[in-house]
Amino acid sequence: MIDWGWIADHIGAIAGRLGQHIELTAIALVVGFAISLALSLWSLRRPRAKTLVIGISGILFTIPSLALFAAFTSITGLSLLTAEIPLVLYTLVIYVRNMLVGLEAVPADVLEAADASGFRPRERLLRIELPLAIPLIVSGLRLASVSTIGLVTITSTIGDAFGGLGFFIKERPFFLTEVLVGAVGSIALALAADAAFARLQRRLTPWAAARTAVDPR
Amino acid sequence: MGTAERVVFEHVSKRYPGTGTGNPGAVEDLSLEVPAGKICVLVGPSGCGKTTSLKMVNRLIEPTSGRILIGDTDVARRDVIELRRSIGYVIQQVGLFPHQTVGENVATVPRLLGWEPARQRARAAELLELVGLDPGRYAGRYPTALSGGERQRVGVARALAADPPVLLMDEPFGAVDPIVRERLQNELLRLQEELAKTIIFVTHDIDEAIKMGDLVAVMQVGGHLAQFGPPAEILANPASEFVARFVGADRGLKRLALVRVGELELREATTARPGEDAAAVRPRAAADSFPYVLLVDEANRPIGWLDERRIPASGPLVVDHAEAESPLFDRHTTLKDALSMLLEAGVQAGIVVGGAGAVEGLVTVEMIMERVRPA
Repeated sequence: MIDWGWIADHIGAIAGRLGQHIELTAIALVVGFAISLALSLWSLRRPRAKTLVIGISGILFTIPSLALFAAFTSITGLSLLTAEIPLVLYTLVIYVRNMLVGLEAVPADVLEAADASGFRPRERLLRIELPLAIPLIVSGLRLASVSTIGLVTITSTIGDAFGGLGFFIKERPFFLTEVLVGAVGSIALALAADAAFARLQRRLTPWAAARTAVDPR
Repeated sequence: MGTAERVVFEHVSKRYPGTGTGNPGAVEDLSLEVPAGKICVLVGPSGCGKTTSLKMVNRLIEPTSGRILIGDTDVARRDVIELRRSIGYVIQQVGLFPHQTVGENVATVPRLLGWEPARQRARAAELLELVGLDPGRYAGRYPTALSGGERQRVGVARALAADPPVLLMDEPFGAVDPIVRERLQNELLRLQEELAKTIIFVTHDIDEAIKMGDLVAVMQVGGHLAQFGPPAEILANPASEFVARFVGADRGLKRLALVRVGELELREATTARPGEDAAAVRPRAAADSFPYVLLVDEANRPIGWLDERRIPASGPLVVDHAEAESPLFDRHTTLKDALSMLLEAGVQAGIVVGGAGAVEGLVTVEMIMERVRPA
């Protein structure tokens, strides 16, 4: 049923597409993270700005991806931007919500103690608020990575120069082996990314692990 | 150790827009002076403005009018960040930073002040020691692995880290159980004997105010100062109907809180060690009008009581012979707390122990009653 011979013959192309998949994902994750962090910090203590940021990023998320890639093809042509702009836009709502929830979950008594100890606002943000928001920020990163890895397959609709492993899904939809290579590869990549960020989360927050390991006294 | 500084409130008011002076948290024309090195307790019902008054000292809240001096300097003229780094602050929920170890939490202000890391660590260890936590065991832990009492001790250590002349404490022991609270109060009083900081302490509990305060400021809703003076004076001569009611009908009993166990002439305890020959111990118990022997360990720490009847005729004493321990007191325990603990435990005598837990003597119900009886 599965044509192992085809896979063996195309192992180089598969590796190349895997690399492209990771690259398209990584760019979107990094750029989206930077934009979202800026938006979150800017709107954190501005309730109206916050409503706006969450609202707009939420609406963007509802636009069908096929339509968005098609729309940007007519603006930015067949460039990398056509793939990356929609990918980045889709990460925003995931990141922003997690970042804001994480930053807002810092307990009031902790903030009061920080203020009373004489932290400047920037010191408080960098040394207290952001570190305490890490678990949720990295949760956002996990979700965004899984979501983006799936969406990268859709960039194959822009043209054969894109798509990552999605290229194989689109190239010959009736050739099961090739479709499976694209789909299974994409799923495996998503699972691997999720597991890697889960590890990162635990490593960055030894204090959260101490919570579960609290001794019974 | 640095020197303490006086704190002066001069016609300080805080009004919140919208409502009149009756609104909760407001402060109306508060004037009082806390001399350097003294504990002043702000006490009153909720909404009386006591916490607002406290937070105006380190400018977490800015007054509407009036001024607050530390030493001779108006706090409003000082850089707010520098001001806060020079004032210790302890709150009920403690507010430890959960992502930092106990040692890092304690070193918060030294780190902000840019001390060398080695000096920060040494200072943190010194302070943990001071509040009774072994630095070797505690410095590397995260706050979530601490009990409520331990967390509060770390909070006090953090507040003292940069040796501030003034300490602000907002219901610091309000969230721990009564036994731990009593112990923490005693520890703070012991610390204060060494440190002599100027401490402003907020509580809604009049008993705590009487116990902790060199001076007590009773506040009433609307932010008015109802009375300001030493606790004995407030108990003896309440300035108004409000103060009398707030202090409560049991003023006689409360006056017991003005006297501490350490001020009594303690009764000596007849003690024995496990392994001692019962035959030798028996006559000692019989000779005492209080016919009990206190079994203690090699460091003189109490193990339990031996009733005369439970001392075997001969052979070595064993730990199993001892029964139910009495409440343990500290020199700073007030007679009121001591009496209440004795009644609670249903026993005649409590054991006074020193810092290391060694027996110093006994306090009996009778001795306390003697103090209540008018001379």
